[in-house]
Parts: sequence; C-alpha cells; structure tokens
Amino acid sequence: MKILIVEDERELVGAIKSFLEPEGFLCETAFSYFEAEDSLSSYNYDIIILDLTLPGGDGLDLIKLIRDRNRQAGLLIVSAKNSLDDKIRGLDMGADDYITKPFHLAELNSRIKSLARRRHFDGASELIFNEIKINTDSNEVFVKDCLLDLTKKEYEILLYFIVNRNKVITREAIAEHVWGDNISYTDNYDFIYSHIKNIRRKIELKNGTNYLHNIYGIGYKFSER
Amino acid sequence: MKLLQKTNRAYFLISGAAFIIAGVVFFFVISFFFKDQVNEKLHHDIRNITRSIRTNGVLPNFYPFIEIKEVSMQDERSFKAIDTLIFDALEKRKIPYRQLSLVTLINGQAYFIAARDTLPEKDDLMEAIALATGSVFILLLLSLYLINRKLSLKIWKPFYKTLDELKEFSHDKPGFRLTSESELYEFTELNSTLEKLTSKVISDYQALKRFTEDASHEIQTPLAIIQSKLETLMQNPDLKKDQAELINSAYVYTLRISKLTQTLLLLTKIANDQFPEKVIVNLSELLCEKINMFEDLIADKSLNLTKEITPVFFLETNFFLAESLLINLIGNAVKHNVAGGIIMIRLDHNQLEIANSGEKFAIPPSKLFARFYKAEKSSDSPGLGLAIVREICRLNKWEIRYVYEETLHKVVVNF
Repeated sequence: MKILIVEDERELVGAIKSFLEPEGFLCETAFSYFEAEDSLSSYNYDIIILDLTLPGGDGLDLIKLIRDRNRQAGLLIVSAKNSLDDKIRGLDMGADDYITKPFHLAELNSRIKSLARRRHFDGASELIFNEIKINTDSNEVFVKDCLLDLTKKEYEILLYFIVNRNKVITREAIAEHVWGDNISYTDNYDFIYSHIKNIRRKIELKNGTNYLHNIYGIGYKFSER
Repeated sequence: MKLLQKTNRAYFLISGAAFIIAGVVFFFVISFFFKDQVNEKLHHDIRNITRSIRTNGVLPNFYPFIEIKEVSMQDERSFKAIDTLIFDALEKRKIPYRQLSLVTLINGQAYFIAARDTLPEKDDLMEAIALATGSVFILLLLSLYLINRKLSLKIWKPFYKTLDELKEFSHDKPGFRLTSESELYEFTELNSTLEKLTSKVISDYQALKRFTEDASHEIQTPLAIIQSKLETLMQNPDLKKDQAELINSAYVYTLRISKLTQTLLLLTKIANDQFPEKVIVNLSELLCEKINMFEDLIADKSLNLTKEITPVFFLETNFFLAESLLINLIGNAVKHNVAGGIIMIRLDHNQLEIANSGEKFAIPPSKLFARFYKAEKSSDSPGLGLAIVREICRLNKWEIRYVYEETLHKVVVNF
C-alpha cells in the first residue's frame, strides 16, 4: 500500500516512516506544498497523510487537488493548530479523518489502517493474527474460530493491539485511544491493566496463546515474542 | 442624563437666576423712577398752590391730594418729602402716598402746604414685574428648548450614528468603518480617532489570535517530534529496565507539556470568544454520556456514584464548551476524590450540582477558580480545569459557586 506523507518537519516524517514501513507500507514524502502538488499530480496513492500547515501554501487547498485526482485515496489530515475550524473545514472538503499534533505513532498507525479497511484496499475487513481473527464489520473476535465474548472496551483495546502488532504501545496511547481526552484526569493507569487481564483470561479460556506482553516501565506489546 | 437634558437644565438654572436678579433690579429702578416723577409733580403742585394763594388768596383743599392749613409757627422754609400711608374710605384700607410738604409765609401768614400723590403698591409692582419677567423668561426658555432640540438633533445625529455603529463593533470582524459624516470638526476628529482605535483593536486581536495559534503550533511540532522519537526508541527490543524507565519518564512529561499548551490555548480561545456557534444541547443526555466515559476511573477508585438527572434539559450553547465544562467538573470530582468516596451528580432544570468527598481545602474558595491554582501542592495536574469551567460560565453568563459541606466539595452551576 502506497502512502504519501505531506509534512514539513523532516524529523517527524522520519519517525513516521520508521514506524509505518515495517507494517508493509510504502512511504513517499513531500516536504512542501509544491512537492506535494508535484507528487499528487504524477502518482496515485492509497493513503495521504496531510499536514495543513505547510511552507508555500495552505494544506486545505491541497484537499481539492487530492479529491480531483485521487478520488479513492484515504485522506488523513494532521494539524498542530487544534482548531475546530480547520477540522470542520477539512472534513467538509473531503478529508476522511483528522488527527492533532502531537499524536502517538500507534494512534496514527491505527487510523491509517482503519482508513485502509474502510476503503477495502485489502479486500477484507478481517484482521488475522495466528489463531485470532477480528471482523471489523461485525466487531467480532474469534480465537480458533470460537467467538470471544468481549466488552466494547476490551474489543477496542484488542483491535488496537492487533493493528499495532509487534509494536511497544504505551499505556497513555491505549488510554487516549479508548477513553479519549478525559483520561488526562488520571495519574493512575491501573484500570487499563484490569481490562488487559480480562482480555488475556478470555483468550486463554479459548485455548489461545497469550500474546500480550508487559514491557516494563512503558506499556505493552502484542507479539509472538 | 442626556446631554440635551443637561444643557437644558443649565440654561434653566442660569437664566432663572438672571431673571430673578433682573426682576429685583427692575423693581428698584422702577420704584426710584416713579418716585422721582411723583416728586417732580408734587413740587410743581406746591408751586402752583403757593402762587394761587399769593395771588387769589384761595385755599384749595382736596384731601388727601392737597392739604393747606394756616399755622402759627414757622420753623423753616423747606420742603419735606416723606412716604406715608393714608386710610382710604372707599377701598377701606391704607394706601401708600408720597407727600411733599412746605411751611411757608404768604402775605404774612404761615401756611402748611402738603401735596400728595399715590404711589404704586409694592405688591402690585412686584406682581407686575414678576409677571412681565416671568413671561419673557418662559418665552425665552421655550424658544431655547426648541432651538436646542432642533439643532441638537441635527448636530448630534452623526454622533448617535457613530455610537450605534460602535455598539455593533466586534473585535473579530475586520473591516469596521464608521459611516457618519459631519461638518463639525469635533465629530470628524472623533470618528477618525475612533477608526484608528478600532482598527488597532482589530489588528491587535488578530495578531494575538495568530500568535497563540502560531505559538501553539511552534510548541506542538517539536513536542510531536520528541514524542515520536521516544516512541520509536521504545520499539528497541534491547532496552534495559533503567533505560526504559528513563524513556518513559521523558515521555510522560512530554505528554504533560503538550496537554498543558493545549489547555492554555483553549483558555485563550474561550477568553477571546472564539466559540460562537451555538446549538440546542440536551444537557441531561450529554451529562450521562460523559459520566459513562468516566465509569472505569470511577470503578478504579471504588467511588460511590449517585445520579439524579432530569430526563431532558435543553440549553442553547456551544456544544464543545458544554462538553468541556462537564468533562472538567466530572473529571475533578473523580480525580480529587478519596478511595471509596462519594460522587453526587444532580441536574434539575437550571441547576447542575456535582459533589465529591475530600478534605477541606486550607485556602479560601475564591482562589479555587484561579489559573494554576492547586489545592494539593503535589498534584501533577496544572490546575487549569476550574479556570476553564469559570471562563465557560462567564462566557455563557452562568453562575458558578463552590461550597464545602459535610465533607463534600460541591460545585454548583446555575444556567
């Protein structure tokens, strides 16, 4: 899958690329309005990550170009301004999703994959990790073809892990993904642990493997080890 | 008080005083003049009488106007003028007279000759003067008032237009212009000064708005880079425990700065009234939704939640701000609670009350809503939640108060 990252901060682009490329994404970059214009008029992309504040022009103007040339592309806009106007205008003009800087790389990855699923680029709404299978249309999880009875939050956490498989995920990223901004009201993430314990227990009950590993001091990692 | 009223009042007072003084002066001048005239006439009369006695020996007597008596003793040959009152049988009262008398020798006989004439009564004179000056005064005032009104309305019209336009002034609407025109120097000067002032206010406001947005952008971008680098570093499988702890600590504080700048930006935006869109919000529904978002945090602290929420309560406000208010209030009640404590949330029409268990604060409640104010020094929240709540209430003209009752912190918002 081909992604165009339009972002003027090279350091940030580097970090995004190094996070996304192991996921099998082919990442191209544009560091300015004009580079983006060039790339967009010459190639087709499956997903475009567009920062709205760009040297040489307003990112919002690029949305029209993207929609004219690349009707099918998933478009995720990024802004540091956190201004509601930008968000509403961007979505009105045809962006699919919006993320505010600074963001967790895992969150970006999860948004991109969700965009990809929604546009059915892989032709499937199924995520498979060994014996675990998630159907994102029906929001169902199967372990060895047995339906797993998860709460809404457990489902969201598990989906986040599987989307970000083999990545170390911080507690803060999980909390923000599932509970949203409200989570800034806690300095104690124990409640995440109880959800994770439940997920592990439920998977093991169906004779699944425990892929959820604690990473000391940081968070968790969903991997075969 | 309106300008016209004020000037009219001043005119009234000053001209009133002037007319009273003029009336008094009139009175004295007229009295003096009248007396002078009467004196002259009486002199004339006495001369005529004396001549008539001398030549004809006739003693005309016409009391009280002319009185002649033969007297024996002759004091001195001089005129004596006095004011006197003489009873008038017809009018049955005493009437003021001017009397000029002379004792003189005519043909060897001494005569007392007195000539008199009525003087205007003081009351009558005063009445007449008051009537005259009064009617002139009223006429003057009336014409002044009419002239003033007509003139003022014409002269002040551009001023009132400017005033109306200024009332419509809003610091976030660029291109503000005053359209009134006047040939008066003061008003054109006023308009040009106001235009300079308003365009400065607008440009300052725009600059401030841009600055806060740019500052937030400039801060968030490096934070985004730091955060992404730390997250990339965390992916390293060879990290040792102590390294992981260091990275996580740096990571947590990076997140905190980023949250802080976002909150400050939000405060600035609320203060600048940058949330103009209003919708009808069902606050009851929104409140329940927000409480549900906190259920894990509430369960984690084993808090005892009681809700008394009216099924529907509609409110016209900005949706984002209403959400922000509820999240901040519920969040505070959860965060500053004690393990196993109580949360009480009550919403009836027009009043929201959120209470939570906790120790009494040592500081006065008035400081609670200040920015960066923390009840507990060790707390790692920046202390902006209640400042945001207060700003939202101020913007919506809602009343907010805090009380501590029976080990409960209570925040009450009246819509």
